[in-house]
Amino acid sequence: EDQIVYNKASVKRIECQEDDDFMAAFDKMLEDTSKARNNESIKVPQFDVPVPVNLKGSKKKFELNPEPVEDNTIKFTLITRRGNKQQFSDLNVPVSAEFATKFKEREEAERIE
Amino acid sequence: EEEEEEQFYMKDLPKYACSYCGIHDPACVVHCNTTKKWFCNGRGNTSGSHIINHLVRAKAKEVTLHKDGPLGETVLECYNCGCRNVFLLGFIPAKADSVVVLLCRQPCATLSNLKDMNWDPSQWQPLIQDRQFLPWLVKVPSDQDQLRARQISAQQINKLEELWKDNPEAKLEDLEKPGVDEEPQQVLLRYDDAYQYQSIFGPLVKLEADYDKKLKESQTQDNIVVRWDVGLNKKRIAYFNLPKANDEMKLMHGDELRLRYMGELHKHWSGVGHVIKIPDNHSDEIAIELKSNAGVPTDCTHNFVVDFVWKSTSFDRMQSALKTFAVDETSVWGYIYHKLLGHEVEDVVIKCQLPKRFSAPNLPELNHSQVYAVKTVLQRPLSLIQGPPGTGKTVTSATVVYHLAKQNNGQILVCAPSNIAVDQLTEKIHKTGLKVVRLCAKSREAIESPVAFLALHNQIRNMDSLPELQKLQQLKDETGELSVTDEKRYRSLKKQCERELLQNADVICCTCVGAGDPRLAKMQFRSVLIDESTQATEPECMIPVVLGCRQLILVGDHCQLGPVVMCKKAARAGLSQSLFERLVVLGIRPIRLQVQYRMHPALSAFPSNIFYEGSLQNGVAPGDRLRSSLDIPWPQPDKPMFFYTSSGQEEISSSGTSYLNRTETASVEKIATRFLRSGVKPEQIGIITPYEGQRAYIVQYMQYSGSLNKKLYIEIEVASVDAFQGREKDFIILSCVRSNEHQGIGFLNDPRRLNVALTRAKYGIIIVGNPKVLSKQPLWNHLLTYYKEQKCLVEGPLNNMKESLIQFSKPRKLVN
Ligand SMILES: [Zn+2]
Ligand SMILES: [Zn+2]
Ligand SMILES: [Zn+2]
Repeated sequence: EDQIVYNKASVKRIECQEDDDFMAAFDKMLEDTSKARNNESIKVPQFDVPVPVNLKGSKKKFELNPEPVEDNTIKFTLITRRGNKQQFSDLNVPVSAEFATKFKEREEAERIE
Repeated sequence: EEEEEEQFYMKDLPKYACSYCGIHDPACVVHCNTTKKWFCNGRGNTSGSHIINHLVRAKAKEVTLHKDGPLGETVLECYNCGCRNVFLLGFIPAKADSVVVLLCRQPCATLSNLKDMNWDPSQWQPLIQDRQFLPWLVKVPSDQDQLRARQISAQQINKLEELWKDNPEAKLEDLEKPGVDEEPQQVLLRYDDAYQYQSIFGPLVKLEADYDKKLKESQTQDNIVVRWDVGLNKKRIAYFNLPKANDEMKLMHGDELRLRYMGELHKHWSGVGHVIKIPDNHSDEIAIELKSNAGVPTDCTHNFVVDFVWKSTSFDRMQSALKTFAVDETSVWGYIYHKLLGHEVEDVVIKCQLPKRFSAPNLPELNHSQVYAVKTVLQRPLSLIQGPPGTGKTVTSATVVYHLAKQNNGQILVCAPSNIAVDQLTEKIHKTGLKVVRLCAKSREAIESPVAFLALHNQIRNMDSLPELQKLQQLKDETGELSVTDEKRYRSLKKQCERELLQNADVICCTCVGAGDPRLAKMQFRSVLIDESTQATEPECMIPVVLGCRQLILVGDHCQLGPVVMCKKAARAGLSQSLFERLVVLGIRPIRLQVQYRMHPALSAFPSNIFYEGSLQNGVAPGDRLRSSLDIPWPQPDKPMFFYTSSGQEEISSSGTSYLNRTETASVEKIATRFLRSGVKPEQIGIITPYEGQRAYIVQYMQYSGSLNKKLYIEIEVASVDAFQGREKDFIILSCVRSNEHQGIGFLNDPRRLNVALTRAKYGIIIVGNPKVLSKQPLWNHLLTYYKEQKCLVEGPLNNMKESLIQFSKPRKLVN
C-alpha cells in the first residue's frame, strides 16, 4: 500500500538519485517563484470579470461537436483572453476535482429544493 | 496495431513529439515557450511528467498548448495580469456557475483582489499537481502509449538537458556518442604524489568555479528602487530590496554588487560596492557600500539595475594552493605531505615540554577528554579532533593554540571556513592573553564583528607609533579621498604597519580562503589549526596548509553537515568530502570530545546512540536543564521532549509556497506561544524547518495569528537546519512538514542534517510531524520508535495530549 505506483501497474517510477534531485529542484523552483512573487510588489488591476450569465445559451454552440462526456466529468467553460476578446472553451473537469465536487453538490442541492 | 507501433519508432516524428519520449498525441503535449521544444504530460519512469521535468531543469516557466488539442493553441496565462509562470497559475471557479478562469495565485487570486464576488478564490487549484499538469487540462498519455514510447531515464534526461545547453538540436541518440558526457575524475583515497592530487582536485575546483560564475552572472535584476545614505567613513551606502533573491544565490557580507542607473533623470552611471547588510528578521533590505563616491546619482531613486560581480579569488587561491603543494617541496613538511596523500609513514612523536596545567588562562577548566585531546595533539604532527555538539570544541581548540604558542615554535595560523567560526575562536584565543591578529578580507572591513578590535585594519588605526600614518588616515576619513602623493605615502606606511603587526602576533586568525591573502604570502606557519574543517572542501583546507605546515590540527565533526558544493558534477566526483573525512577513512582515528554540556540528558541519548556509538557523556545533570515554571505538558515529566503527531495535509501549492503545512504551523505557533507565556525569552526559542515555504509561512502566521505581542514572535528565529549548525537554543521546535504519501522526505533524509536538528536544544525539543510518512525512512523510523518507547509520541489537543497508537510504515530499504 505504501509502494509508489503511478498510472496503475505498468509504468513505474524508477528510484534514483537523479530523480530525487529533480524532486528537490522542483520544490525549489516552486519556492523561489512564489517567494519572488511575494517580494515583487506588482500592481495589478483588481480582478473584475463578471461571470457570464448567458453562457447556458452560448454553450450550446460548443455542444455541436461534442466529445462524449463521461459520467464522471462536468463540463466547465474556461474563459481565456485572445487579444482583447474573451474566448470560451469547454473543459471537462472530473468530479474528483474539488471545485467540481462542490459544484455538483450544489447543483444537486438546488435540484432537491 | 503494428503500424501504430512502428510510428512510434519512426525517425521523423512530428515537430511536436515529446523531445524525451516521442509521444505525439496533440492532446498530450505542451510547448515550452523558452526552449521551443515539445514535451508530453506523462511521467514515464520518473516522478514528474516530462514537461515538468523539462521546465524545472531548463528553469523555464511558460508554455503553450497544441492547436489540435481540446483547448486549441493557448498560451497559459493569468487572465487578470498576464503572468505566464505556470508554477503560479491555477483555476478559480465561479461560485454558482460551471465557469473557470486562470489566475495567478499571487496577487490576482487573493481575496482582496477579487472585485466580483461571484468568483470563489478559496477554490483556487494549481495547474501543476503532483509534478504534472492537471490531467484534465493536458491529457496524460495512456500506460500503453507510455510503454510503447521511448523509455528515457532520469539520468538520460539530465544528460540530454546538459547537452541542449551547448547544442539545442541534440537528440537522445547523441548521448551515446563518445566524449559527450565526460564525468570528471573521482577523488581518491590515496594519491601517488601531489601532482596527481592536483590533477584531480584542480578540475573539480574549476567545475565549481564555473558553476558559481554562471549562477552569479545570471542574477541581474532590474527596476530596483534605491534609498541612499552615507556611512561613518563618508562612503555612499545604497539600500534596496532584491525581489528575486533565491536560496541558491546566498548573498553574503562582503560580496560585490554592481549598481547601474538606467533612468532618464541622470546620465548613465555604474558603481561597484560591497554588501554590508543582508536581509534578516527585521528587514529584507540589502545594503552596499560603494567603493567610490564619484558621480553617484543620489538624487535618483528608481530605475536601477543590480548585477552580481563574480569574484574568482577563493577559487584562484585553492588552485594556487594545489599548485604550491605539487611543485614546492618546502610548502609542507615531508611527514605531513605523505600522510595527506595517504602513504604509509611511521608515526612521529613531537618532543615537547608538556604543560603542568592543561587549562588555559581565562578559559573554562578542561574535562578529561578535552585534556586528553590537548595532550595528544601537542605531541603529534597531525591530529583530528572530533567535537560532537556541545562538547566544547572551541574552548579545546583555543587551549591547544595557547599551548602551541607557549612552545615557542613560531607563529600559529588558525583558520575556519566561515567568518563566524573564525570570530568565535579569535575571541577565545584573545582571552588567554595571546597576541592575536584577525585578518579580514578587504571587502569585509566595514562589517561589524565582536572581535573587530582585533582586526588588522582596526589595530593599525589604533597604533600610535606612527603619527604620520594616523594623520593621513584622519585626513582620508574626513575628506574621503587623498591626493596622489599622499595616497602613495599612506599605502606604503600602511603596508609597513601591517607587516609589523602580523610579524609580532602570536596567532593569526582568518578564514581558510583568507590564508591565501597576499599579506601572508611571505610568511611561514609551522602550526596550523583548522576549526570546523569538516565544513570545508579539501582544496579549501589546503590553502592554510601549504604555508610551511609541520603540525596540523583539524577540528570538526564529520557526523554533522559537510561542505556546501553547488555543482552537482563536482559534488558527485567527491569534492563534498572533507579532508577530515578522508583522513578518517584512511584510518586516522579522531580524538573525540566526549562530554556534552548542551542538552538535557534525555535529549542527548538518541543522537549519542545513533551518531556517536553511544559514547557521548552528559556534563549536565537533568536538574541543570530544568525550567520549573514551564506550562508545557511534557508527556513524561523527566523528559523535556515529545513528538507531536500532526496529520495535517501538506499543501503543494495553493497557499503560496511549495511545502507548507497549515495544521503543523498552527501547532508550532501554539507551542511557541506556550513557551513565551511561561516566560521563555523569544531569543531562546528556535524553530527549525527544512522548507523555505514553511519558514516564511510560520513567520507570517505567528505575526498575524499569534495571540501575544507581535514583537515577541519576530525575535523567534525560524530557519533551516543548516542555519542552526554550530549554534544552540534553549528550546527547539522542529517542524517536519512532509506528509505527502507520494514522495520521500527530502531534506530530512540526510542523517547528518537530522543529527544537527536534534542537537541544537538545551532544555527541550518538540518535533511536529506526520509519523506515518516519516517512518518510511529508516533513520526516522528509529527516531519515532525511540519516542514511542519513551512514551513521548503524542497526539490530540495540546491541553489534553494522549499517547499516540499510530502504526508506523515499514521503512524502505536504504538505497546505498
Ligand atoms: Zn514524453
Ligand atoms: Zn495575475
Ligand atoms: Zn609518500
